Amino acid sequence: MTGRNGTRARRAGATRLAALLAAGALLALLLTGCGVRPSAVVTGRPAPDGPAMGIRLYLVWHGQLAPVTRPVKQHLSREQVLRMLAAGPDGYERSQGLTTEVPPDLVPTAPPSSRAESIGLTVTMSGAVTTLSAIAADQIICTASGMAAEGQKPAPVTISGPDGSRPPRLCPY
Amino acid sequence: MNPWRRSGLRAAGLRVRLLLAFALLGLVTTAVVAGGSYLQARRVILQQAQDAAVVSLTDQLTKFYPIRQLPPQQEDLDRMAQLLSDRDGYAIVIYHDMRAQGSQTADLLTPELRRDVRDGDRVVWQRVSVRGAPALVIGAPLMLEQPDGTSEPSGVEVYAVRSLLSEQRSIDQLALWAWLTGGLCLVFAALLASLAASGVLRPVRELGRAAHRLGEGDLTTRLAVRGSDELTEVARTFNHTAELLERQVGELRRMEADARRFVADVSHELRTPLAAMTAVTDVLDEEADRLPGDAGRAARLVSEETQKLTRLVDDLIEVSRFDSGTARLALDEVDVAAAVTATLRARGWADRVRAELPPGVMARLDPRRLDVVVANLVGNAFRHGAPPVWLRLRAEPDWITVEVGDHGPGLDPETLPHVFDRFFKADTARTRSEGSGLGLAIAWENARLHRHAGHQGSLVAGNGPSGGALFTLRLPRATTDPAEAAESATAERAGAAGPAADPATVGPAAAGDSAAAGGVR
Repeated sequence: MTGRNGTRARRAGATRLAALLAAGALLALLLTGCGVRPSAVVTGRPAPDGPAMGIRLYLVWHGQLAPVTRPVKQHLSREQVLRMLAAGPDGYERSQGLTTEVPPDLVPTAPPSSRAESIGLTVTMSGAVTTLSAIAADQIICTASGMAAEGQKPAPVTISGPDGSRPPRLCPY
Repeated sequence: MNPWRRSGLRAAGLRVRLLLAFALLGLVTTAVVAGGSYLQARRVILQQAQDAAVVSLTDQLTKFYPIRQLPPQQEDLDRMAQLLSDRDGYAIVIYHDMRAQGSQTADLLTPELRRDVRDGDRVVWQRVSVRGAPALVIGAPLMLEQPDGTSEPSGVEVYAVRSLLSEQRSIDQLALWAWLTGGLCLVFAALLASLAASGVLRPVRELGRAAHRLGEGDLTTRLAVRGSDELTEVARTFNHTAELLERQVGELRRMEADARRFVADVSHELRTPLAAMTAVTDVLDEEADRLPGDAGRAARLVSEETQKLTRLVDDLIEVSRFDSGTARLALDEVDVAAAVTATLRARGWADRVRAELPPGVMARLDPRRLDVVVANLVGNAFRHGAPPVWLRLRAEPDWITVEVGDHGPGLDPETLPHVFDRFFKADTARTRSEGSGLGLAIAWENARLHRHAGHQGSLVAGNGPSGGALFTLRLPRATTDPAEAAESATAERAGAAGPAADPATVGPAAAGDSAAAGGVR
């Protein structure tokens, strides 16, 4: 009899303990859940975009393409822009840590030709193009395709030179 | 622990359990409802604040287009930061390694946020804690349109930091309301619980009280049968049981009373022939010496047995007086030492008993009954114990105590509880003794007859510390008049008299009666 009572008492005690623990956990949850807590990073709507003044060149910042703009007085051809790219960053750009991987002597020999739409744009350069680094090639490709007319579909760019040509490629941006 | 206290505790336990259950229910419900709505409200408040801040930031960012120059000049960044700063917050504008001047520390920009802004094309935000104050940091890269309609990051990152203190205040207000509601609900639940508990527990308590009364001997106890729940069934069963019990106990009492009356009647009827026989045996006694041989012995035997029978009948009459409650005290102011001395002297024991009698102990009691008790105790000590027999009188403010002891083997612990039973014989082999077998029972009744202010005289049997039986007689010093005592006793019984005060349950009387009846038959 006493034994059974004891078991019952123990069981009741355990139940009470569990209830207390649950209540405590609830209370702790309520207390810690109060106020404004720090959160993880939440991703929302697309970031705003807009135009930039001047022409756009692609330089390199810490191994990544970085767009820069240069104010221009009049309309420039692709060829002229690619020549500007070959000339590399100016003083202020360099001071901002921007570099280029395009060799200074790599300039277009002729105005880039836009052939059939499927093939896209071909830029013929003066120097070796197959040995160019991928970044340098992307600099040229993005700068060239950035000159496209408004609303035009992105077209693959083929860089060719005296030593052959690189496969057509879209600007990775 | 007495039964009433135990049942009270159990009732309290049930009440506490009910209270706990209700409180827990209230707590959980409140926590779920209040907590849930609190969380929901908090989510909505924060969401609205964040959405508004994000919309406002993107609106302002569109004003920066077209971007005049990339990489931007320091003053461009400063201007942007300044445009974005208002009383709600400030902005941090970063281009690669350059940062708008006047921007507060960028410590609150977490690496994840920086990475997501630098590598993504979407507005991101994060809630952070700035020195304990909550703040919202919204980050957005400035994107550049491309001719084909897609956009690319310009490398300019804008972070707007907005304090969430006002939101926190609203939320704290909400939390306060939630706590208040919870507390009120808890109080309400406790009130409901105690109401329900008393509703449930009232019949239980009544049942417990009735059972207690029944246990104390009030067999007329009945419960009011109300409603039709389980407890009503219990009440009905209780009433039925009590009724049966009352009927049976009444029957038993009637039979008992009949038996007692029979004994009393028989004793009385025997008295007259015995008186005649005593007169005859007195004559026979005188003639016995002159009668030859067996005739003389027979005459003496008849005389002795007649005396014994007379004593027995006298004792039986005395006992039946106790049983019928007609025994009356003849109270007198008595010098106890003198009374005891007189008793001893009258029986010729004055020299054989070591009496310790402090003089001047006055008490109001019935001297005849004191004489009966003392004589019986001392006589018993002589008969069953071993000399020297001693007697000690002690006086207390409210009591006198007379102890009678001997130096014999003492009382067997097994027989101790039955010493005062009627016709009880410690030595079963000795079927015939000089006494009637009623002496101690009568002494016990005599002691109990003396009562004062709820206290009853007592006679207790035991063994002395140095061996030998020890009988202790305790009498109140100021016994009240039996008529008054009877009245006050009735009043007491109606109150809270102990079970021992009930004559129906007194051991020696009940046990002795059947024996008495058997003895006469």
